[in-house]
Parts: sequence; structure tokens; C-alpha cells
Amino acid sequence: MIFSYNWLQSFFTRKLPKPEKLAELLTMHSFEVGEVKKAGSDWTLDIDVLPNRAGDCFSHFGIAREIAAIINSKFEIRNSKQIINSKLQTKDFVSVDVRAKQACLRYTAKVITDVKVGPSPKWLKDKLEVCGLNSINNVVDAANYVMLETGQPMHAFDLEKLEDQKIIVRFAKEDEKITTLDNQVFNLNPAILVIADVKKPVAIAGIKGGTSPEISEATKTIVLESANFDPTITRRASKELNLKTDASLRFEHGIDPNLSEIAIDRAAEIISRVAGGQIASGLVDFYSKKVLPKRIKLDLDYLKSLLGIEISAAEVKVILNSLGFKIIGVRLPLLVEIPTFRLDISLQEDLIEEVGRIYGYDKIPVVFPLASLIPPVRNDNLFWTSIVKDIFRGVGFTEIYNYSFQKEAGEVEVENPQSLEYRYLRPSLIPNLLKNVEKNSVNFKKIKIFELGKVFEDKTEKRMLTGMLVGEDFYRLKGVIDSLFNKLGIVKVWYDDYQASPEDSPKSLWHHKKSAEIKVRDIELGFLGELKDKPNIVAFDLDFDKLTALASEEHEYRQISKYPATIRDLAVLVPALTRVEEVLNVIETAGGSILKDVDLFDIYEGEGIGDGKKNLAFHFVYQAEDRTLTSIEVYKIHQKIIEALEENPEWEVRR
Amino acid sequence: MAKTKISLKLLKNKAQKEMLQAKDLKDLDIVFKKYLGDEGEVTLVLRSLKKLPKTKKAKIGKEANELKNFLKIKFAEAAAALKEKAQKEAELKEWFDITVPGEKVAFGHLHPLTLVQRKCEEIFQFMGFSIIEGPEMEEEWYNFDALNIPKNHPARDLWDTFYLKNGLLLRTHTSPVQIRYMEKNQPPLRIIAPGRVFRHEATDSSHEVNFYQVEGLMIGRDISVANFKAIIQEFFRRFFSKDVEIRLRPSYFPFVEPGFEIDIKWGDQWMEIMGAGMVHPNVLKNAGLNPSDWQGFAFGMGLDRLAMIKYKVDDVRLFYSGDLRFLNQF
Repeated sequence: MIFSYNWLQSFFTRKLPKPEKLAELLTMHSFEVGEVKKAGSDWTLDIDVLPNRAGDCFSHFGIAREIAAIINSKFEIRNSKQIINSKLQTKDFVSVDVRAKQACLRYTAKVITDVKVGPSPKWLKDKLEVCGLNSINNVVDAANYVMLETGQPMHAFDLEKLEDQKIIVRFAKEDEKITTLDNQVFNLNPAILVIADVKKPVAIAGIKGGTSPEISEATKTIVLESANFDPTITRRASKELNLKTDASLRFEHGIDPNLSEIAIDRAAEIISRVAGGQIASGLVDFYSKKVLPKRIKLDLDYLKSLLGIEISAAEVKVILNSLGFKIIGVRLPLLVEIPTFRLDISLQEDLIEEVGRIYGYDKIPVVFPLASLIPPVRNDNLFWTSIVKDIFRGVGFTEIYNYSFQKEAGEVEVENPQSLEYRYLRPSLIPNLLKNVEKNSVNFKKIKIFELGKVFEDKTEKRMLTGMLVGEDFYRLKGVIDSLFNKLGIVKVWYDDYQASPEDSPKSLWHHKKSAEIKVRDIELGFLGELKDKPNIVAFDLDFDKLTALASEEHEYRQISKYPATIRDLAVLVPALTRVEEVLNVIETAGGSILKDVDLFDIYEGEGIGDGKKNLAFHFVYQAEDRTLTSIEVYKIHQKIIEALEENPEWEVRR
Repeated sequence: MAKTKISLKLLKNKAQKEMLQAKDLKDLDIVFKKYLGDEGEVTLVLRSLKKLPKTKKAKIGKEANELKNFLKIKFAEAAAALKEKAQKEAELKEWFDITVPGEKVAFGHLHPLTLVQRKCEEIFQFMGFSIIEGPEMEEEWYNFDALNIPKNHPARDLWDTFYLKNGLLLRTHTSPVQIRYMEKNQPPLRIIAPGRVFRHEATDSSHEVNFYQVEGLMIGRDISVANFKAIIQEFFRRFFSKDVEIRLRPSYFPFVEPGFEIDIKWGDQWMEIMGAGMVHPNVLKNAGLNPSDWQGFAFGMGLDRLAMIKYKVDDVRLFYSGDLRFLNQF
């Protein structure tokens, strides 16, 4: 909000710090000040008033009070005297009927007769202009001026245009309409509070006036309104009508009802000054429940404990007094009376903040806490997250962070999506990773990416570990996944044929042959393989929570055999549709514990071995823990394996 | 005797010629032995002097000795030349270009936000903070009400929220983790809670619909603003590996009182980096703690912002672009 430096200065007899310096002081003690700009002979300060302080600081009064506390100086509101015509009584001119009592805490009205509506004097125009408001006429300008000064929005009606000279505060009826001062037509409804005469709404309460009782050059008698409307009702109406005004902004944050009267007197005085006229005496005042100041106890020991610095009772009193608080009595804990304009203060902690910020947070020392030496608890999820990410980095993958949203339908739909691209929460990391592959393939031939992130299903969320490879094949990726399990200490991993249930298969992302389900015992961990219709991409998709549940740091060292190993090669010719696993099973069963390792190093299909056949070539490593194997022993066991393989009539060991 | 004289001259010429023909030190050694060795030609001449008459002996002896010394010098010169030549050849053979670029290692890359999050976790763990996580789909109670942000309160507008059709919302900050943790754990406590949060905002170079925060919470009997300053100053010092000036200025968050914004001095500019404050008594109450027994501080900061400062990234959207040209730089 824009504030005028000269206007703020006008409340002080002493010279204020220079605009830049003042901005810095306000930033450190009250509110952040943005731009400081020269505006003719004045300066503007763009002050970011905190939302809980709108009630008192969306006004030059409020900011001046802050400044007074910060620079420890007196600030004065100088009211010139109202010249009231005691023969005229406001209540004889106008009556007010507040029907929506919950929505309108207070309604004050005052009448000024014989005004001369016309342009505003230069000083008034200038002040409004500096603060970004347009000049309308002297009456409206005076009302706006008082709003900028006190924070109380006001409205002026032409009394003669009000039917029966009656003001009714009520909710709108279904299908009622109003044309506002800027000639917009709004359809109203019973959730919207209006000011009406006996026939029709004349203003949207707390938001904007209507055209019908508008102040014009012909206006002679005006009714000033200074009221207090419920913040929530104002806020809802403003949202619903999509109509934000200087008035609605103030009402929706809440205003002190006691301000209504102060502001209306001030406005009447200024109107009579700039537009002439007679101020009728008295006030039509609907005020159902007068707001009285609260009292809060302030324990200085607690203040010291919370801020971490001792501030003397004398200093505390000076600070609180300068902000408009009253200290009642002399006993400790201090009893503090909260002025009604401080809607934000309701607890002792609120007062401690007031003292702390004016005293200066920069004066609080830097002190390490004294705490028991309780070591932090290890977060297992993060521990494994870190290990898994390092493994993937180690084998050349780049980590991706994608949006949690996607365009493609998922189970969880966003009520208010930011755009159609982000309509659903991702049920899988795959769709967004596919987009990454697509985008990056312009620049990269080989792509290795992974993401560890949350996916969403109904009301649950879980972590998935998903990755994609371009430019490598299924077996290469399977090797990566095998190493991952190995590093995580997960054993008994097996790859099951991918079996999509009939209802799943059309939706499935996986190639129905070139993909496998990864299992540990009977736990389904995820999938691995080619994606459907994406022959150049292989992917994996693992349930990370299941993975970490299985992961183990337990690892036992195995004695390195002191005895030499013997290596033998062997090739088996098998039908092309034979699975390697079947062959391996036969080899391992026959080989027993002496067969330390089997390594498939080649699969050959094609010329020279006959159609429908393939050649599997293995390295065997024979080794015993307790002796050097003799060549006869190795020969015997190797023969045993060959015989076992050849029990299958379709398999032929090539020697 | 003229014959001896002639033979000495011939010997000199022959030896010199053969010396020059020697290709290496080994050849040269053979030539040396041929002339100056025990059975060398010059040696033999010198040995034969004994048999000569005195006068001749003196004259020829002198000449022969001169020849011997002359050849010795020449051999030494030739040897030096050959040595140098051999060295040069050897060096040439071993010539090696260390400026050829190294072979590329297929190492992968962690996301910059992972790196920054790890750094934060490490620093706070050193100071005894446990790392806690919470759900990304959250209940209104934890995201707002319990944090002293009642329904229809204008403060809710400060957090532009994504609501879900399943009745939950996407958490707008990591603060709900405070409540969830305090409900289940008795103070004194020290935690940080890193994680993804969401805001319904138009995206630009400094705003994203999802981003990362780290929440911090320390509760004890007498934890103060002074303590907060110490912890957070230490954090920034370690995070940026240098002394960083910080300042606290008043701010408003419904879940703290007093509340402040933390700026760090970066160059000659103050930069807003974190919101913080002393935990509001209502928040403690809502989490089942008695505010007259416990007090403490809480803070929240954007990891994306920290990463942007640390790596001089000027557009937050790059973090979520999946662009390998960007990610492969980390």
C-alpha cells in the first residue's frame, strides 16, 4: 500500500528520518517497505502492511503510530473543531434500520446540509493522487481522504435521492440487481449484504456504492455512512462478485468498530471545510455490542525466556505506551490494556512480539541452546533413498524431478487444476519420464534417467523408483537392477513372466513378452522391460517402500578360498525357445557346492548351428573351500554336468 | 723410423675415421679397444718402444703418447655425443602427450535439489536434529486448522491451495509435519522435515506449482529467539561455507508468535530466505502439548531458492524440466 511521506510527517513536530532511512526503520521494526519514490515535493513509500495489521495500519494514522514507537517520539492527531449547527439534528433527516445485525456490527450516519459539490482544493487532490486515488469531487474526496488517514472506509449518499430518507442494512433478495458508480451491473443474492432504501439496494455494503443516490453537482444534503461490516461476509461478496475496492480490502481484514465514530466526525469536519455546509448535530448510531478494550497480563520473565534477552520493565512500558497500549497499575506481571484498534493482539505472546520488534530483533544475542545430548534418530527411508540414488548415479543415471501432476487420467483428480496439463495427480512416474525421454532425444542418443517420487492412488500415496534407458537393451537394464538388489542386500529375487490380467492388459504400459515382474519370494516389487509400442525404451518401475522394507545392511564376509580355482568352458546347443534359466537350473543342481560360479558369456543364434537352435556358452568356476581340487575331481563333476544336460534329448553339449 | 712415423699418422686417421662410424657406445668401445685397449694398436706401438735406441725412443715415444692422449680426448667427445644422441632417441620413444582429454567415465548425476537437501540434512543432523517426513496429500486440519489458520480466515489466502476431489488437499507447506510429529513425540525435540509442497500459482522464473521446503522445529523448556539465531546462523555458515550475515525482521505467520522473516546478506543485497518464529501457543495446544510447559522455534525455507542461490540458477522451472543439458551439470 502506498503512503505519503509528507502526510506521515504532518503528525510529528520533529523532523522524521529521511524517506530511505524511514523505510529501513519500518522494514526492521514493522513492515517491509518496497519502493521509495519521489512524487513532486513528496515521497511515496510502498509499505507491505502485514495482513494481521490491516485493521490499524491500512492508514496513515497506523503507520505514524508505528513510526512514533520506533523513533520514540510523540505523534499527534490534530483535529480542527467541527462547527456544528445544533438546530439541525441528524436523526430528523434520516433513519437507519439494521436488519442484518450479525453482519453489521455498527452503523453510524451523519447529515451535512447545504453543501456545494464541486472540484476539490489542490491540497486534497494532491494527497489522494500521491496515494494513487483519483479525485472525484470534494465530498467523495474528503471521505476517501479520511479513509486513507484513519483506515475507515466511508460512503456519502445524496439524502434527497434516498427513498423515504431511510437506510436499511439487509441481505439482498434473490434476483435483485444494482448498478454501481462505475456503471457495472451486478446480480445480487441473499449472501450479499446491501445498504438499501425502502425500495432498492443503494450500495453493496462495504464494497461499492450504487448510482441511484450518487453525489452530484446538484446534491444539497448528504448522508455520510461510517459503518463496520463483517469481514467474512464482505470477503465472500467481494470474491463472488469479483469486485475488490479500497473499502472491501479494509473491511475484509476487520476494522475496529470504535473507529466509525472518530472517522465520521473527521469526515464531516473536512467536508464542511472543502464543500461548505452545515453539520447536523448528533449521530445516528446503531452499535449493538460495544467493543471494549481487553486486558492481558505480561510476565517479564516469560518475555525474557522467549526472546532470550532481558528488557527492563521501564523499557517495556515505554514501548507499549508508544504503541497505544496502557499499563494498568504498577504491579508485576504487568497488566496491559489493549486498544480496540489492535484486533491482532489477544495473547501474551502477541505483546512480547510488540516489545521485541520495537526493541529490535538485531539486539537479541546469538546463544546456542542448552539441550540434552540426544542423538538424532535415523530416518530409514532417507538412508535408503540416499543409497539407492548413489547406486544409480554410480551406474550412469541422471536423476529427474518431475511434476506431481499429469494430463493423463489418474485416480486422484485436482478440484482446481492450475491448467489441464496438471489435472490429475500422477499414479505412476512413467508418463512424465516418457516425456523426458522424448524431449531429450533431440539432444541425446543415449539416455539413462531415474526418478524417486510419490505417486497417488485414492487417498494413499507411495514412493516409486522408476527409470528409463534408451540405447541399451533389456539385459543391460536387468543387470543394473540385479546390482541394485545386490547392493541393497536383497536376495531371492526372481523374474516372473509378465501376466496382465485380461482387464489390465489394454491399459498396461508394458510389452506383453519383453517384460518381467520382479519378485522377492511372493512379494511383487515391480516391473522391468520394454514399454508397449516403445521398442527403443526399456524401463523399470519399483515400489520403493517395499524395496526398503526388504533392504538390509547385514552383510557377512565370506572366507576367500586359499585353494586355486579351475575354470572350464562349456557350450550347449538347445532349441531356440529354451529359457536360459532351465539350463542353469540343471547345471547348478548337478554342479553342487564345488561349482562356485557359472557365467553365461555368449548366446548365439544363426548360421552354422541350424535353424531353431541357439548356442549357450558358459564359464564354470570350480573351487573348494578346504582343498586344492584335483584334475580328476574337476573332470568328474564337469562330466556329471554334461551328462545331466544331455539327459534332455533336445540339448546337445558341444565339446 | 719414417715408417713408424707414417704408421702413427695413419693410425691417427684410421682411428678417427672408425670413431666417427661408430653408431653407438658399444661400437665405440670396440674401436677404443682396437686402438687403446691392452692389445690396441697404439698400446702396442708404445710397448714396442722399449726395443728402440734411446734417441728414437724419446722422439717416437713423445709422438705416440701425444697420439694416445689425443685419441683419448676424441673418444671421450665421441662418447659424449653418442650418449646425447641415445638419450634423445630414448626420449623421443617415450614422448607422451598428457594434454589429450581423459576418457569419459559414464558417471551419472544427482538432481541439484537432492544435493541441496542432503547438505541441509547433514548440517542439521550434526546439530542433533532428526529428519522427519510427512504426506504430500494432507488433511485440512493439519495443513491449516491445527496451524492456527481457521476456515474463512483471510490468512488462508496467503496459501494458494490445490484441493483434491478425494477430500484432501496438497500440502502448501511442510508445517503440517510439526503437528504430526508433536502429536506422537514428547519434547524436548529437534526435527527438520524436508519435502515437496504445492501452490496454486501461475508459474514463472521464481514460482512453481510444486517445490521443496525444509521445515525446522525445536521445542524445549526455554528455547528462545536467541537460540534460533544461533542455530540458523550456524546453518547458513555451513551451507554456504562462509560467514553469512543474517537479520530478522517482523513478519506474520499464524502459527508463530512472534513471527519473523529471515534475510541473508548476499553481496550488498538483503535476500529473503526463510520464514520463522516462536511456535504459537495454539499450535502447541492443537498438537497436544501444554504451552505453559513448552516453547520453541519453527522455521521453513525453500530448497529451490537455496539451490538457485548456491548454483546461480536463474529459473526455478529448470529443476522440473527434466532437461539433461541442465541436470548433467550437477
